Amino acid sequence: MAEAQAHGLKNLSSIIARGPRATHNLTGAEETGNDRSVGRRDLFALTTTRHFVNRMIGRSKYVAVVKIAWQRELEERLSFILSRSRGLAVLFSLYFLWSALLGSQASVFQYSRRQILTYVLGMSILRALVLGSATDNLPSEIVHGQLSDLLLRPIRPIGYWAARDVAVKGLQLGSAVVEVAVFALAASTPLYLPDRLLTVVAFPASLAGAIVLSFVMSYGLGLAAFWTSQSGGPRFCFELVLEFCAGAYFPIDVLSSGWQAFFSVLPFPYLIFYPLNIYLERVGPAVIARALCMQAIWIGVLWIVVNVAWRRGMRTYAAEGV
Amino acid sequence: MSEPPAVVVQNLTKVYPVYERSPGILGALRGLLHRKRRDVVAVRDLSFHIAPGEMVAFLGPNGAGKTTTLKMLSGLLHPTAGDVQVLQCIPWKRQAEFLKRFSFVMGQRRQLWWELPALDTFRLNASIYGIPRVRFQRTLEELVSLLELQPLLPVPVRHLSLGQRMKMELACSLLHEPELLLLDEPTLGLDVLMQRSLRDFVKRLNRERGTTVLLTSHNMNDVESVCARVLLIDTGRLLFDGPVDQLIVQFAPSKRVRVDFREPVSPDRLAAFGGSWQDDGTAVEFEIERERVSAAAAQLLHDFPVVDLSIEEPPLDDVIHQIFRWQKPRPTA
Repeated sequence: MAEAQAHGLKNLSSIIARGPRATHNLTGAEETGNDRSVGRRDLFALTTTRHFVNRMIGRSKYVAVVKIAWQRELEERLSFILSRSRGLAVLFSLYFLWSALLGSQASVFQYSRRQILTYVLGMSILRALVLGSATDNLPSEIVHGQLSDLLLRPIRPIGYWAARDVAVKGLQLGSAVVEVAVFALAASTPLYLPDRLLTVVAFPASLAGAIVLSFVMSYGLGLAAFWTSQSGGPRFCFELVLEFCAGAYFPIDVLSSGWQAFFSVLPFPYLIFYPLNIYLERVGPAVIARALCMQAIWIGVLWIVVNVAWRRGMRTYAAEGV
Repeated sequence: MSEPPAVVVQNLTKVYPVYERSPGILGALRGLLHRKRRDVVAVRDLSFHIAPGEMVAFLGPNGAGKTTTLKMLSGLLHPTAGDVQVLQCIPWKRQAEFLKRFSFVMGQRRQLWWELPALDTFRLNASIYGIPRVRFQRTLEELVSLLELQPLLPVPVRHLSLGQRMKMELACSLLHEPELLLLDEPTLGLDVLMQRSLRDFVKRLNRERGTTVLLTSHNMNDVESVCARVLLIDTGRLLFDGPVDQLIVQFAPSKRVRVDFREPVSPDRLAAFGGSWQDDGTAVEFEIERERVSAAAAQLLHDFPVVDLSIEEPPLDDVIHQIFRWQKPRPTA
């Protein structure tokens, strides 16, 4: 009996320690993870890049969340494939729509052929990177009390959801890039490549702002479930409006100037339309500066809203279902 | 200098709003326009202390306010009124140092990732709680051995049975070696052997690490075997706070006297002892009032051909059942 148990524990040790990645998942280092008791040998180890990186990666609880969320997404292959099919359907329909609108013309709505087709392909990638989100599950977790499991553990809920968002975006982006690349090659799409130095700086900045803005907006919307158990319908409508106003179907500057002025005070165009227009070099430095400022303002406003909503929501949270 | 209490609860009250609507389609339609709000007092002016290392049972019928209290102690719920300090922290502030020191094990809790093997969630928790690798490995080996989890480790959680999932949930909650363990129906869904292992394990945690335990359970074996002290509540009010033995003395007016006779005895002669009694030939079991037990036992030994006589307290299960059945609790001393 004792022998069998000892054998079992030996097997267990091998399961626990299986693979270098698994080992680093836990602590990232061979020694104990207590900062205050780092000895001279550990300090030496820390000076080597490998150990330092392993230690940082292994210790981050948020990195661990990203990893497990990836594992889960890969387990749910069918859902992933279906969600990408939707993205491909949008890509195909919009690409052929704009190709038909262009016909033999060199430009349409002041977009050159190269620019509008790049907009459509870029839109497909940004849909995955900016609009792809894990926070769709947040309302259900609040309503059904699964949020309690998160609240009982020493991790910041917003950080946890941001990590899950990163996991979803990472997978969606990887898939979208491959799809778009294959499509662009197959259709011999003429692509627009920027050549201004400002674009090299401003585009990544606007993209980062768009990702953060989209997350804060989606997370804030999810928090509505603290007050209503029926947030699914409103969320669906909101997402439709968001995609329309964000320029995820067509560039919003094809609309009248009145609509454009109205949309420009909302946060939505700063998710896809402005980042893509910065990439396509259709806007000057003043508009770029204004777009980045608007992103920052909206992130700030929504961050405050999210924090207030979280504090108040926690007061009403009933932890039902557990 | 004495250690500060692990749990301090003072005048704790929790009121929930409940929205009611009539059943059926018409009720649903009416509910679109108007819902009736009713405030339910789940916990009412509750006060108690728990010392470090104590093992306390929190008992009461369904809806008594046990789980609501545990949720407030764990910081999941904000109280409507009153003060709570757990491990010298205010729970709903959710400080990381507090969250790392306790664990809340609920029968219905699902912290394991459904699609993945439980070991993946164990590793995630190791990262979240900052458990050093060596300690994680040691604790996990201990839990795996005790709860017999090894063959289940690589199996996705969705393929596990209820009892197997419960064991995994329990192991997951104990990986960070909490100082305070809140157990809400921990043996739910477990087989008898596993229930016993779990109880032994909890007692061992308490003995070896001084873990404080607050347990709710409808299984009185859990209570009797693990806890020395009982908090009894109903409709959110504390009815009793004291040792298990005292609860029985206070709420059970009679003791069980079992007598084996050498030969069958006439029921008429035994009727004089009063109380209720069961006869299966030569063995008789009486329920005799506490004050009369000594005299009755002496008389039985003197007047009848007694082979064996034992005097026992009634089972805790029966006492609790009687308290809530007849709703005749005496006020806490």
